[in-house]
Amino acid sequence: MTVAELSGAGTASRALAERLAGRVFQACAVVATATALAVVGVLGFETVLFFTEVSPARFFTEATWTPFSEEPRFGVLPLLAATAQITVGAAVFAVLPGVMTALYLHQYADARSATVVGTATSLLAGVPTVVYGYIALNFVTPALRAAWPEVEAFNGLSACLVVGLMILPTVVVLSREALESVPASLMEAGLALGATRDRVVVRVLIPAASRGIIGSVVLAMARAAGETMIVTLAAGNQARLTWNPLEGIRTLTAFIGQSSLGDAPSGTLHYRAFFAVGAVLFVVTYVMYAGGRRLLSRRDRDGAR
Amino acid sequence: MNISASGTGPETPALSADALTVRFGGKTALSEISLSIPRGRVVSIIGPSGCGKTTLLRCFNRMNELLPGAVTTGTVCLNGVDLHGERIDPVEVRRRIGMVFQQATLFPKSVFDNVAFGPRASGYSGDLHVLAEEALTAAGLWSEVAEDLDAPAMELSAGQRQRLCIARTLALKPDILLMDEPTSALDPTATARIEATIHSLKSDHTIVIATHNRAQAARLSDLTGYLDRGELLEYGPTETLFTNPRKRRTEHYLTGRIS
Repeated sequence: MTVAELSGAGTASRALAERLAGRVFQACAVVATATALAVVGVLGFETVLFFTEVSPARFFTEATWTPFSEEPRFGVLPLLAATAQITVGAAVFAVLPGVMTALYLHQYADARSATVVGTATSLLAGVPTVVYGYIALNFVTPALRAAWPEVEAFNGLSACLVVGLMILPTVVVLSREALESVPASLMEAGLALGATRDRVVVRVLIPAASRGIIGSVVLAMARAAGETMIVTLAAGNQARLTWNPLEGIRTLTAFIGQSSLGDAPSGTLHYRAFFAVGAVLFVVTYVMYAGGRRLLSRRDRDGAR
Repeated sequence: MNISASGTGPETPALSADALTVRFGGKTALSEISLSIPRGRVVSIIGPSGCGKTTLLRCFNRMNELLPGAVTTGTVCLNGVDLHGERIDPVEVRRRIGMVFQQATLFPKSVFDNVAFGPRASGYSGDLHVLAEEALTAAGLWSEVAEDLDAPAMELSAGQRQRLCIARTLALKPDILLMDEPTSALDPTATARIEATIHSLKSDHTIVIATHNRAQAARLSDLTGYLDRGELLEYGPTETLFTNPRKRRTEHYLTGRIS
C-alpha cells in the first residue's frame, strides 16, 4: 500500500471541518462559563454595594426585616430561619419515605411493582411547582386547619409537607443509586454468613450506602432551600422570626420572588437587598449542592473496596 | 427441622447431590449432577472457566436461588436431609454450609466485627472474643491481627483479607466449607498461605473447593470432580483422576488442551 492510497482527497477538508467543530463547541463552553461568572459577578457587585450602606453585622444578626418601611430594617434572620424551617421540615417529611421507597425498589419490589412505583415517582418529579403550591394552599392547608384550628392561612407546615413531596423523587432516585452502587457481593457475603436479608439490609447495605444516602438528602435539601413558588403560595410573606410551623413565614426565596416584581427602582437600597438576599441563598444552596455531590461521588470509598 | 439429626452414620455422605440441574432462562448451567462428598474430606471441583463450578457450589448452600431466573431441579442433601425440603430455612442452611468467595468481600467494619457478623446474626450467646480467636487461629490469621482487632478490615492485604473471609465463615462452625476459587485473585505467596490454612483445616472439616488451578486440586484434595460444560464428567480419588483419567476431555483438560 502506498501513501497515495491512504491520503484520500477529503483529508484537508475534513481536518478543517474538525477544527471548525472544535471551535464551535469551545465557543459554547466559553459562553456558558462566562454567563455563570457574570451572574456571580453581578450578584457579588450589588451585594457589596448593599453592604456599603447596611453593615453585614446588622444584616446577619438583626431579627427585623422591614425593607419597605420609612426607616427600613434589614435583618435577614427571619428569612434565613424560614428557609431553614422549610428545608429541614421538608427533609423530615421526605427522608424516611424516600429512603424506604428506594430500599423497596432496590431490594424488595418485583419488576412490575418497581416499574409502577418508579413511574409514579418520576411523575411526582414532573409536577410543576406552581401546581404543588396550589395543592398546598387549597388542599393541605384547609386539611391542617380542619385538624388544628390555630393553623394560620399561610403556614410553614403546609409548605414543609408539600416541598417534602416535591423533593421526594430526588431522595428516591439518588438513594436508589447509592444502594445500587453497593456491590452485590457485599450483600451475598452477608447472606452466605447465615444472616437474613433484612439483617443484611440493615447491617450491611444501608451502612455501605449511607454516604450516598446522606448525599441524596443534602441535594434534596438544596432543592428545598431554593424552592420559591410553593413557599410563596403556602407559607406566605410575613417576615417574622418564628419556629412555630403553624404560623406564616417568609423565606429568602419568597422575599425575592414577591417583592422583586418591579416595585423597587433600580439602584435603590431595597433593590440591592434582593441581591444581598440572593447572595445568601446562593451560598446556602451552593454549599449544600457541593456537599451533597461530594458525598455522592465518594460513596465508594467506604464501600467494599 | 434439625438438619444434622438424621442420617449421621458413617456411610451417610456429608453432602450429596442427585440429578441436580440448574437453568438460567433457557440456558442449562448444570446438568444432572450426582455426587456425594464424604465427611471429613477435601473435594476439588475442577474444570474450564464457565463450566459451572461456581453454580454447583452455590447450589450446595442455596445461594444460587438468589440469582434472578435460576431454576433448580434435583436434590441436594446435607447429612441425608433434602436442603430444598418444605420446612428447610435457607438461612439455617447457610449457617451450616459456609462459603468463601473468589473475591474477598469484607464488610467495611473492623476485623472483629467481620468475624462476629455470622455468629451475631445467628444469635450466638457465648463469648464472641473466644470464638473470634478460635476462628482467626484456625484461619491462620490470629498472630497477624491479634494486636488490633478493631482495625478496619479494609486495611489488610489481599491474602489477609481472604483468610479473614475464611475465619469469618469458620466462626459459624459450619459442617461444610465451600470455597469458590479462593486463591485465584491472590499472588503465589498469599496462595501458599491459604493452601496451608486449608491443609490445617482438613483434619476436622469437610471442604469443597472450586478451582481452575489443577496443581492446587492435586495438592489439596482427596477427591476431585471434573466439570465440563455443566456436566460432571468424572469424579473420584484425586490420584486416580490425575494419573489415569477415564474420559478424553478430562485428560485434555489436565494436559492443558482445554483451559
